[in-house]
Amino acid sequence: MIAGHFGFAALVKSREPRVPLWSLMLACQWMDVVFVPLFALGIERIVPVEGGGPPMGYGDGIIHADYTHSLLGALIIAAAYGLVAGWRWGRRNGAVLAAVVFSHWVLDLLVHRADMPILPGNAGNLPRLGLGLWRVPAAAAAVELTLVVWGTYLYWRAATKVVRDAGEPSTSRASRLAILMLVSGLVTLGLNLAGM
Amino acid sequence: MQAVRLAMSFVIGLIVYVVVLGVLDARLPWPKPRGDKVRS
Repeated sequence: MIAGHFGFAALVKSREPRVPLWSLMLACQWMDVVFVPLFALGIERIVPVEGGGPPMGYGDGIIHADYTHSLLGALIIAAAYGLVAGWRWGRRNGAVLAAVVFSHWVLDLLVHRADMPILPGNAGNLPRLGLGLWRVPAAAAAVELTLVVWGTYLYWRAATKVVRDAGEPSTSRASRLAILMLVSGLVTLGLNLAGM
Repeated sequence: MQAVRLAMSFVIGLIVYVVVLGVLDARLPWPKPRGDKVRS
C-alpha cells in the first residue's frame, strides 16, 4: 500500500490544519523511508508469494521488513519522528505526526499477509501479524481508492474554507492543489496495481 | 530488479507528495503550527 497512506495523511490535514502537509505526507511513509536503505543493504526483503511472480503483481509480495514493520519497531520509529516534530512544532503536533507514522503499520496490518513481526527481527519467534487483504486485490485496491478519494475530498473542503476565511476572492488554487493530489493518488495506485 | 523499480517508484512518488504538494500547500493560509517562530 502506498497511495492509501497518502490519502490518510490528506484526511488528517483536514482535521489538523496546523500540521504542515509535507510533514504529514512524509510521516505516513516514514516506515517505508526507513525500509528503503535496509532493503538496499539486503537486511529487509520482498519476495513473491508462491505462484506470484516474478514479476510480482499488486500485493503479491511477502515483505520481510522485520525491523521497520515490526510492532515495536514501528512504535519506536513513530516516537522518534514525533519527538523531532514536537521539538519543532509543539507537543500536540508531534503527537499527531507520531500517530500518522504509526497509522502506516495499522493500514499495512490490514493488507499484509501474516509477515509483520511483533518484535524487531522477529525476536522470540512470536506469531507474525497481517490480515491479508492483498489476497483479494480488488478489495485492497478499493480500500486504497476510498482513502485517496475521501482524504482528498476532506482536504479540498478544508483548504477551500481556509482560503475563503482569509478573504481571498477565489478558491481556485486550493481546488487545483486538490485535483493534483487526486491525480497523484490515482496514478500512484494505478502504477502499484500494474506492479510498478 | 522489480523490487528496485518498486523502490524507485516509491522515492519518486514521495518527492511528488512531500516536495511538490508540500510546497504548494504551504502557500495556502493555514494556521501556523504552535511552537513555530512568528516572523516580525
